[in-house]
Amino acid sequence: MIIQIENLYKSYQTHVALKDINLNIQKGSIFGLLGPNGAGKTSLIRILTHITEADSGQILFNGEKLSPNHIYQMGYLPEERGLYKKMTVKDQLLYFAELKGLSNSRAKEKLKYWVDKFDIKSWLDKKVEELSKGMQQKIQFIATVVHEPKLIILDEPFSGFDPINAQILVDEILILKEQGASIIFSTHRMDSVELLCDHIALINKSEKILDGAVNEIRQQFKKNHFEIKYEGTPLINDHNINIVSHKENELVQTDIITSKQFQSNNELIKQLMQYPISLNAFTEKLPTMEEIFIQAVNQKQQSHA
Amino acid sequence: MHKIWLICKREYLSRVMKKSFLIMTLVSPLLIVLFYGIIFYFSFNKDLGEDKKLVLVNDATGIFQNQLEAENNISFQYKNLNEEASLEMLKNAEIFGVLNIKKEGEQIQYNLIANEQPGLSTLNGIESKLEKVLKAKKMQDKGIDASLLKEINDISVQISTQKSTDKGLEKSNSGVTTIIGFVGAFLIYFFIFLYGVQVMKGVIEEKTNRIVEVIISSVKPFQLMMGKIVGIAMVGFTQFTIWVVLVAALSGPVSSLVMKMAHVDPSSIAQTTQMSGMPTDELAKTPVKSNASMAILSGLNQLNIPMLLGLFVFYFIGGYLFYGALFAAVGSAVDNETDTQQFMMPITLPLIFSIAISQSIINTPNSDLAIWLSMIPFSSPVIMMVRLPFGVPTSEIIASMACMVLGFIGTVWLAGRIYRIGILTFGKKPSYKDLAKWLFRKS
Repeated sequence: MIIQIENLYKSYQTHVALKDINLNIQKGSIFGLLGPNGAGKTSLIRILTHITEADSGQILFNGEKLSPNHIYQMGYLPEERGLYKKMTVKDQLLYFAELKGLSNSRAKEKLKYWVDKFDIKSWLDKKVEELSKGMQQKIQFIATVVHEPKLIILDEPFSGFDPINAQILVDEILILKEQGASIIFSTHRMDSVELLCDHIALINKSEKILDGAVNEIRQQFKKNHFEIKYEGTPLINDHNINIVSHKENELVQTDIITSKQFQSNNELIKQLMQYPISLNAFTEKLPTMEEIFIQAVNQKQQSHA
Repeated sequence: MHKIWLICKREYLSRVMKKSFLIMTLVSPLLIVLFYGIIFYFSFNKDLGEDKKLVLVNDATGIFQNQLEAENNISFQYKNLNEEASLEMLKNAEIFGVLNIKKEGEQIQYNLIANEQPGLSTLNGIESKLEKVLKAKKMQDKGIDASLLKEINDISVQISTQKSTDKGLEKSNSGVTTIIGFVGAFLIYFFIFLYGVQVMKGVIEEKTNRIVEVIISSVKPFQLMMGKIVGIAMVGFTQFTIWVVLVAALSGPVSSLVMKMAHVDPSSIAQTTQMSGMPTDELAKTPVKSNASMAILSGLNQLNIPMLLGLFVFYFIGGYLFYGALFAAVGSAVDNETDTQQFMMPITLPLIFSIAISQSIINTPNSDLAIWLSMIPFSSPVIMMVRLPFGVPTSEIIASMACMVLGFIGTVWLAGRIYRIGILTFGKKPSYKDLAKWLFRKS
């Protein structure tokens, strides 16, 4: 475990930001911290990065009690990005690397690695204000990971990225993961990370409402919905199946169905074969993170009520 | 410590390596020297830019006939004219005006007719010349002869002062001490303001650019604040040192150039070049005749220059740290510069107050007020500089320095408490009540 959080509480003057948070983040995994704006994600991150302190509770980093020295092993990309506009790219990156504890020569070495990787040699002597927004984002990302952190914390990493740069970012993150880094993603856009994350935690109104491996959670929340595409007479509700939705264009019908006596996927396909249709596609429809989130929030509210 | 050093280095280099720094640093001494050059030039050529004025004196009384002294720009001609003729004469462009003098009963009436409204100095000049003639006439009427009159006019008194100290009597010179004290005080005032505001702007910049959150995840807020304050202090020192060197190097040639242009006797200007930091050996080369400049030279020698300089540097740094921390706290509390006004007031007021009151401190350097103000760290850097050249007891200096040190430790602590919360607080502009809460909030 890279991070173990136990019974963490944090409150500000007027409101509670985190209430009894328990989380484990595995080494070398990508962990999604999901929740709407104001749920407490940034508060949690700021405690991890030692910007603020928790009121109570315990955090272990790599098995040790979290201490200020651990911040050198973390890279943090805040939601609100910032660079010194008047500083050159080179000076800026070296400065951040040295602040993170790298020696000057080591910082230069690492800088060269990233410069070659992103092919940004021509930017080095430019001031940040001369760069485009996308270029600045790349610089910011390099500043976050230049010191080879063991734990990389990315707060809303894709905001402001165009699709091409977002893909570059995803690729880099996967490489860093392969090299052994653990990554925390914090975002309110749940769809953006569900494909990327191994584990997630859902946070709402300062409480954790759900956590676990992405696949397990989706299985757990699935409603046995199946999407089928077929040609022939449109299906109707009967003793076997329920039609949840129906769409059709000129030839192909697309239905979402549930089975009334579900046993297995194969069994359902067998049943479908008996209808006068020609089946083109059969997919199990797993719920999206967003759907899971809404369902989990509702369940939580009901259990409170 | 390493972190503070890194931050300090960045603050320093990012400012010193800027083109504008280079330009400001090189151009401002030129401007200062040029500025003083022009002032000297005009002060030695007061009539510069004024036309020669020819005044026709139409003296019906006969008292002033051929008695009025001509000056650089005003000369007199004596003619008896009637009103019509004088108006006619005014059409002549060379004639500035016609001064009609006539007696009405015991009173003498003076009336100047001119084509333009005469300037105040022209008018005063003519009036004083008329008065001088009248006074001389009165004296002579009472039987005082001209040579005696001259002797009376030449009477002048100068007190030489000596100060009684433990080491016996010391010569002193109030003029020099006043100037040195005031220049020192003003430099400190200027430095605190100029660079204190830079600290504040730097903090606001980091806050509005949102760099602060990235950095705060690597260093403590206190380190960031101290690095910035010290880094900017070093910028100030660099700039200041370059200025002193440049002004010293340039003021020699420029002042001699000005002297040449102004055709003034070097001895009369020696006094002024002294203030602008001209090296003394340079001064020795120029023939010094007047007693005044000798007195200033010896006055300078009487001062304990190394101690003065050492204390100047101490109050320079101490005052800057004291105020710089407060400026940093203000910067951290607000989101943009326009919001700084209400927090700036209580910081700038004591500074402005001390520079304003230093005028009266110079007159009474050992009053109770002066002693108290030189203890309070808000005013001591400025007030102490004013008092030091007059001689301040060692015990008072030590007490004041101790207060200064305690003072800046206090403000740095205070500012650090506000800063750590302020830099991460965005949105609503805090009130003084909020700041007080931040002070005592645990991190």
